[in-house]
Amino acid sequence: MRQLFRRALALSAAVTLSGGVLAACGSSDDTGGNGSDGGPIELTIGTFTEFGYEDLLEEYQRLNPNIKIKHNKTGQGGPYHQQLFTKLGAGSGLEDVVAIEEGHLSDVMAKASLFNNLLEIGPKDVTADRWLDWKSQQATTKDGKLIGYGTDIGPLAMCYRKDLFEAAGLPSDPEGVKPLFETWDSYFAAGDQFIAKSDAAWYDANAQIFNAMHNQLPVGFFDTSDQLVIETNADIKANWDKVTAASGRGQSAGLVAFSNEWNSGFKSGAFATKTCPSWMLGVIKNQAGPENKGKWAVTDAFPGGGGNWGGSFLAVPTQSKHPQEAAKLAAWLTAPEQQIKAFGKTGNFPSQKAAQTAPELLEKTDDYFGVKAGELFAKQAAKVGQAQYKGPGDGRIQENVTSPALQSVEQGTSPADAWAQVVDGATKIAK
Amino acid sequence: MTMTGSRPTALPTKALRRSARNENRSSGGRAGFWTYGMLLAFVAGSVFPFYWQFLVASRDSSMLTDKIPPLLPGGNFFDNAARVFDSVPFWKSLGNSLIVAGTVTFTTVLFSTLAGFAFAKLRFRGRNGLFLFVVATLAVPTQLGIIPLYMAMSEFGWTGELQAVIVPNLVTAIGVFWMRQYTVEAVPYELIEAARVDGCSMLRTFWHVCLPAVRPAAAFLGMFTFMTSWNDFLWPLVVLNADNPTVQLALERLQSGYYIDYSLVLAGTTLATVPVLIVFVLLGRQIVAGIMQGAVKG
Amino acid sequence: MATDLQESPARAPRRGPGSPARPGMRDKLARWDVKLSPYLYVAPFFIVFGIVGLFPLLYTGYVSLFDWELIEDSPEFIGLDNYVDLMVDEQFWKVLVNTLSIFLLSSIPQIIIAVLIAYLLNTRLRAPTTWRISVLLPYVASLVALGIIFANLFGPQFGLVNSILETFGIDRIDWQADRFSSHVAIAVMVNWRWTGYNALIVLAAMQAIPRDLYEAAVVDGASSLRRFVSITLPLLRPTLIFVVITSTIGGLQIFTEPKLFSEMPGSNNGGATNQYQTVTLYMYQSAFEQQDFGYASAIAWVLFVIIIVIALINFLLTRRLAGTGSGR
Repeated sequence: MRQLFRRALALSAAVTLSGGVLAACGSSDDTGGNGSDGGPIELTIGTFTEFGYEDLLEEYQRLNPNIKIKHNKTGQGGPYHQQLFTKLGAGSGLEDVVAIEEGHLSDVMAKASLFNNLLEIGPKDVTADRWLDWKSQQATTKDGKLIGYGTDIGPLAMCYRKDLFEAAGLPSDPEGVKPLFETWDSYFAAGDQFIAKSDAAWYDANAQIFNAMHNQLPVGFFDTSDQLVIETNADIKANWDKVTAASGRGQSAGLVAFSNEWNSGFKSGAFATKTCPSWMLGVIKNQAGPENKGKWAVTDAFPGGGGNWGGSFLAVPTQSKHPQEAAKLAAWLTAPEQQIKAFGKTGNFPSQKAAQTAPELLEKTDDYFGVKAGELFAKQAAKVGQAQYKGPGDGRIQENVTSPALQSVEQGTSPADAWAQVVDGATKIAK
Repeated sequence: MTMTGSRPTALPTKALRRSARNENRSSGGRAGFWTYGMLLAFVAGSVFPFYWQFLVASRDSSMLTDKIPPLLPGGNFFDNAARVFDSVPFWKSLGNSLIVAGTVTFTTVLFSTLAGFAFAKLRFRGRNGLFLFVVATLAVPTQLGIIPLYMAMSEFGWTGELQAVIVPNLVTAIGVFWMRQYTVEAVPYELIEAARVDGCSMLRTFWHVCLPAVRPAAAFLGMFTFMTSWNDFLWPLVVLNADNPTVQLALERLQSGYYIDYSLVLAGTTLATVPVLIVFVLLGRQIVAGIMQGAVKG
Repeated sequence: MATDLQESPARAPRRGPGSPARPGMRDKLARWDVKLSPYLYVAPFFIVFGIVGLFPLLYTGYVSLFDWELIEDSPEFIGLDNYVDLMVDEQFWKVLVNTLSIFLLSSIPQIIIAVLIAYLLNTRLRAPTTWRISVLLPYVASLVALGIIFANLFGPQFGLVNSILETFGIDRIDWQADRFSSHVAIAVMVNWRWTGYNALIVLAAMQAIPRDLYEAAVVDGASSLRRFVSITLPLLRPTLIFVVITSTIGGLQIFTEPKLFSEMPGSNNGGATNQYQTVTLYMYQSAFEQQDFGYASAIAWVLFVIIIVIALINFLLTRRLAGTGSGR
C-alpha cells in the first residue's frame, strides 16, 4: 500500500507544486526520545478502561531508573482497538506495549506478523506455563509464537437480585439458587417461573446470554482452518433458538450493555440476573449505588459449567523501537505478584496459575456483595475448559452482527429474519 | 476540507443584489400577541436543551430515571466538572481546540482575504476560469476524501499530531468566495489606483487599502471559521488520538467511557459550550449582521 | 454566479508625473509585482485544495478499484468489484434510504418553520436584534454535545420526550428501535440547530424585497396573506432553493448526529439493524472499523457522485426559477 501510495502522492505533489510547502511543514515534527546513547529509554504503554497499572508503572520506573514510561489510557475498548488497528495499518504511532482485549484478539492473531514473538524477545524464564492453559493458548499462533502475555481473565459467575427472587417465590440464598443456574435449560425454565410472578425481566439482554453460551461451545464461528461455519455449526443455531425463544416469552429486558438505560437498570431492578465476570462486580456496585446494598448477590455457579468474558493481553508490536525493554516491562506487569496487586485495585482477576492459589487473592472479600470474591472467582476460573478457536473477524461478528441482530429480535424482528441477517453479516465480515 | 457542520452563507443570486442596508427596517406589519407568543415558544425550545444539560450536570444522574424530573439545578455542578477534568485531558483538549481553531481561523482569513482581493480587484490571465473553479468547489464534499487523506497523514507521520487537523483546513472555498463578493463592492477602484500612483507595491496596497475596507467581512469569516473548526468532529476522530484530543473528541470519549455517568458527561458538554456561548452573547449582534449580509451578497 | 469582469484601472504601473524616472531594476520589479502578485494571492487556496481536497477525492476513486485492506502491503487490483458488491449490498441501500429520509425530514420542516420565523421576525418587533440573536442560539451548540443531549432526551425508557408523551397519555415511542422514529429524532437534532440560522437568511431576503411592491399591493387592497403568497414567496424562491442546496451538501454527509445517537456508546452501527446508519457513517465504519479501505472508498465515491448530481440539479433549478420567478 505504501509504495503505490507514495508514487501517487509524489505525482500529485508535482502537479500542484506543493513540494516546498510540504517539506517546510514536515520538519516541524519529531519522533520522540530514543536513548541509544545510554540515556533513559522512553517506553509507552497503551491501555483501555482500567488496568490498575498506575502505581505499578511508578514502581517499575523506580526499579529501573533508565526507563521512563508514558501511559496512554483510553476509556472504552471499542474505540481503543479501532485506533490500534488503524495505527497497525499506518505502520507507526503504536505504543511499545499495547493491551489487547480477548474479543479483539482474533484480529490481532490474523496479523501476527506485525507483533513480536514474546518467547523470542521476552525474558527467557517467562513461558506459556505462567498462565492458565486456555489463556496462553488464545495468544499462541498455529506455528507456536506467543503474541501476548495474559493479564487478567473474566471468569463468569451469576449475579442476581435477592429481593426480586424472593418476591417471585424463588430461592434467594447463594446455595439455594445454584440448581437454577445448573444448565441453560434450567436457567430459562427458572426465567419463565420468575417472569410469571414479577414485572421485571429475567436478564438484561439477549446478546449477553448468547455470548456466554457461545463461548462455551467447542467450535465457534470459525473452524481451525479459518472457515466460517456459522451455518453448518448446529450448536450456534441451537443457542440462537433458545435465547430468542426466551426473549419471545418476555425474559429479556432488551437493554444494550453499557448504555445509559442498562446502567439505570441495575438501580431500578429492570432485570433479575446478570452474567457476572469478576470485573462486573465493580460495575454493579457503581450503578446500583449504596442504597441498593444487599439486594445484589453473586453465586459461584454458572449455567453450562464455566465461562469467560473478557480479560486482556499485553503485546509488543514490531513497530516498537525497544522491543526487548518493552517485553521486559510486559513480562513484569503480567507476573502473578503484580496482577494480584492490580486485582486489589480494580477487580481484574489474574490469569496466572500461581495467582489462583495465592492467599492474598483467596482472602479478598467484597463488602457490597458480602462474599469472598477472590475465592469465588478462583473456583469459577478453574471451571473454564479449553479455549474456543477464534477466527479472524470473530470479535467483529459478535459485536457488529450477532449482538445487534439479537437486539433487533428484542425490538420485534422475527428470529428467522434476524438469523438471515446474522448469516449475511458474518459472511460479509469473513469475506 | 469542508465540514458537514458548515454552511456557506452567500447567495448566488443576482436578484437580491441590491442589499438592504438598514437592518431594522421591516416590511411586515405590526407585531401582535401571537407574534410574540410564537417567537417566545420557539426561543424557549432553542434554550431548553442548554438548560437541560446544565440541569443534569448540576445534579446526579439518578434524576434521569425519575419519572418527574426536577426543574431547578442542584448543587453538584462543580463536583461533576472536577470529575470531567479527572476523566479526560480536558484542559489539554481545550488548549488543542484553541490552537487548532485559532490557527485555522487566522490562515483562512488571511488567505481568503488575499485571494478575494485578487479575484475582485486585480486583473490577470485566467481569473474568470479560476474563480469559476472556486465556485464549483463549493459543492464538492471534500469530507469524502478522508481515506487517502488519512493515508497521507500517516505517510508524513502526522497522525495524532495537531498539524494533521490544521493543514487540511488552512483555507476554504467558501472563505475565498465570500471575501471576493464583499471586496467587489467594498473597495473602490479609485483608492487602489491612488495607492498605486503613490508607488505602493501590491502587498502594501492590499494592506493599506483593501484590508481596512473589508474588516467587517473578515471578522465575520473569522467567527464563522472558528466555530466550524471548534465543532469539527469526523476528521479529528479519524486522525487524532485519545491522549491528544480536541474538545469534541474529549466529549465523545467522556460519553463512551467505562462507566457512563451522564451528569459527568453533561458537565463536560456544559463546560465545552460555555466559552462559545460567551463569545456568542458578546458578539451576537455582529454574527447576526454577518449572516444576514452574507445572505444578500453575491 | 456573478463573475463579470470589472475593468480594472489598476493595471500597469504608472509613474506619477513628479517621480524621478529611474528605469531598470525597480521598474522591472514593479512589473513583476503586478504580474505575479495575483497568482501568489490565489495560490494558497489552490495548493491547499489540490492536496487536501482534489487529490484525496481522485485517489479515493483509485483506491476503490482495489481490494485494499488497512493493513496490507500489496493491494490487489479488482476493477469494479467493490462497486458490484456495493450494488447488491442491502446495507448500502438501507443506509442510503436512511440518509435521504433523514435529509428530507430535516430540510422540509426546517424551511417551512424558518420562513414562518422569518415572517414573525420581519414584523415591527421591540428589540429586534435580541430576538434575532435568540433564535440563532442553537447554532453555537457543539454537534457532539448536541448528539449526547438529544440521545438522552430521546431515550426509550427514561428519556424526557417519552415521559412527556406519557403525561399526555400518548404511548411511549421507541426512538431507537423504530426506523422512522429514529429518523425523526435525528432530524429534530438537525432542525433544532439550523432552523434559526436559516430563518435569518430568509429574513434578510425578505428585507431586500422593495417596499414599493407591497405598497402597490396595499393600494390594490390585497390582504396580508395574499401579499405574502403572491409577493413574498415568489421573491424568496431563489433564497429558499439556495438554502436547500447548501443543506443538501451538508445533510447528505450527516455523520456526527447518528453516530452519537447510538445507545451503544462508541458504536458505528447506527442501531441494531442499521436503522439510522447513514452513508458517511457506513463509510467510516467500513474504513476504520472493518479496515476495508477499498470498499469504503467505493461508498465515498458513490456518495460523491450522488451529491454532485443533486447539487447540479438544484443549481439548474435555481437558475431557471431565478430567471422566471423574479421576472428580472
